[in-house]
Amino acid sequence: MNVFEQIVEATVAGDKDRCVALAQQVVSQGVDAFQAIQEGYAKGMTIVGEKFVRMEYFLPELMTCADAMKAALDVLKPHFGKSLEGGTLGTIVLGTIQGDLHDLGKNIVKTMLQAAGFTVHDLGSDVPIRQFVEKATEVNADIIAASALLTTTMAYMPDLAILLKELGVKDNFLFMVGGAPVTPEFAAEAGADAYGKDAVEAVDVAKRLMQEKKKRSVK
Amino acid sequence: MIGFWEVAKRSEKGPYIKEEEFDRKVGMLANQIVKKYGIKFDRQNVIPADNDLADKVYQAGLELFLELGVYCRNTSRLIQFSRDEVEWALKHAPTTVTYGLGRDLRVMTHRTIEDSKPPFCLNTPVGCTVAEERFVAMVQSYAQEPLSDTFSSAFSQTVQGRPIKSGTPQEVEAAIWNVVKLREAARAAGRPQIGIHNLISNAERTDAIIAAVQAEFGVQPNDGLAIAATAEMKADYERMKKVVFLNHKGLNKYGLYGPIMGGYAGGPEATAIVHVAHHFLGLMVFEVQWHDGFPLHLMQGCNSTRDLLWLISVTGQALSRNTHLLIGVSPFTAAGPCTEMVVHEIAAVVLAATVSGLHLNLVAVARNKLPERSSGMEARIGAETAHLIARQGVTRKQANAIVQKILGEYESKIPNAPEGKRFDECYNLETVKPTQEYLDVYERAKEKLSRFGLDYSLL
Repeated sequence: MNVFEQIVEATVAGDKDRCVALAQQVVSQGVDAFQAIQEGYAKGMTIVGEKFVRMEYFLPELMTCADAMKAALDVLKPHFGKSLEGGTLGTIVLGTIQGDLHDLGKNIVKTMLQAAGFTVHDLGSDVPIRQFVEKATEVNADIIAASALLTTTMAYMPDLAILLKELGVKDNFLFMVGGAPVTPEFAAEAGADAYGKDAVEAVDVAKRLMQEKKKRSVK
Repeated sequence: MIGFWEVAKRSEKGPYIKEEEFDRKVGMLANQIVKKYGIKFDRQNVIPADNDLADKVYQAGLELFLELGVYCRNTSRLIQFSRDEVEWALKHAPTTVTYGLGRDLRVMTHRTIEDSKPPFCLNTPVGCTVAEERFVAMVQSYAQEPLSDTFSSAFSQTVQGRPIKSGTPQEVEAAIWNVVKLREAARAAGRPQIGIHNLISNAERTDAIIAAVQAEFGVQPNDGLAIAATAEMKADYERMKKVVFLNHKGLNKYGLYGPIMGGYAGGPEATAIVHVAHHFLGLMVFEVQWHDGFPLHLMQGCNSTRDLLWLISVTGQALSRNTHLLIGVSPFTAAGPCTEMVVHEIAAVVLAATVSGLHLNLVAVARNKLPERSSGMEARIGAETAHLIARQGVTRKQANAIVQKILGEYESKIPNAPEGKRFDECYNLETVKPTQEYLDVYERAKEKLSRFGLDYSLL
């Protein structure tokens, strides 16, 4: 079993000590850190995500595996060099929208996005809409992602889209929404760029949005 | 007796813990305790006839509650209780709750396992979103059902044409409108004094709720409100403000707990003991009179799956055998109205609940997600099925055999369950009567369920 396969195995097992030891081995043997992430840790987390969807893993296991990967990435970070500029697929500002304290779904989405390679700034729950915009501007985010569990709070999602427009920053960020009462139809009406029905779809949607953004910037 | 103000004090003085750390602790501790007690989900025993298992689930839930405590989200502190304090509260917990007045007065009492007394049926569209002009008709369709012991609300998309946003003046207006319209629907149903177990479903903030829960808007002295734990084993001051208000007002209050199977707790076993622990949270922090659970499947957003049926049954049995608490469950189906699948899913959850000592909050359909997908027919299906199960004297063993057959009808269809029909396609809006199509769907499903062992001739 080569080192990448060992990393995959350790990540899927959520074995933090082994993940860190393998990261140290990568560094000491001069293996490319970017390759170790792509063919090792990220690949492992993809398997973890699939197991989570099939309910072979539950949230505690998902979090343990994500922790193990994060600890390994801390070891690798100083050695990214130019091979992984920025070290991330994109930057996302995430939160449960104003008036809403429910955060389970948002937290799962956060874990999955981080595991997929995004940098996530989690604003928590009951987040005023202006705070999404302020944070996104501060960290130069690519995506703003808002979640709601209540029908009375998802009503703030269109307000967020309007605020982005009024402040003239709509084109700076892509806006995605999700949460139990949110439907694709509502998301479209609310002025969101995308909708994710669950955490797995949210990751796919975020990746798609980043591709669209790149295409746009190329044009 | 420790009383609410001691609880409030503990929420300010208890040990500090970061929320993320607490979330992780829920799963870690629950899984350790599950292992210690040797609790195992058995796919073939969805409705187990195993008193020892029920007692283990109860003891494990109590141990978890005592070790974990309740997290206060405002202060990031743990509200902790001693075993003596919990046992005292259990001993003195209410034995009855009364809703409604006059000829619609109904009394909820404790149910035992395999009880021949039918479950108390609290019938509701569970806040299903509906157009403002159809709100009264939708909730009337629940209130008018003869087996509805109480009813509660849908969620109107707008009030006086304006959308409802939490924390705004419109939320206060909407909450008052909601209460007025519920009582109007009760009158239209010919049951003007039927109890309303949850008066508000369109306001999140306590100020709006307090503004609306007043006699001049049609509130009766024994109507009530739900107080929900917003996440696994958590309380917060918005919920605790309701406790103070309701304690002074004298209205009924019940605890609402929706642990997510696959979420913070983990699998069905750990989620089961977390669910049991929530009942102690409701008793100790919210001082509720009865308890309603809506445990859900993380991926499917319903509780008609095999593992959730097991969870509902073992937690009901655990609490029914070891306490005199008044406990219930809300069935959540994947399929929508006017489908054979929704009848099957309701029957399965009702079967698991009825033989396990639970009352019923009937019923959230189409994963409680799709607008206009809810009608009084689903409540009728649930209540009739529950009553016949009790009358028939179905045992847990028999129920398990029947539920396996019912699961065979719908289990594989859950991920792609049919959305079903809208309320205005299920009911004649002028007469507020179900369509012949829906009645026929129910009849066909009943024939099948009869072959599986449910005797609908007892109705």
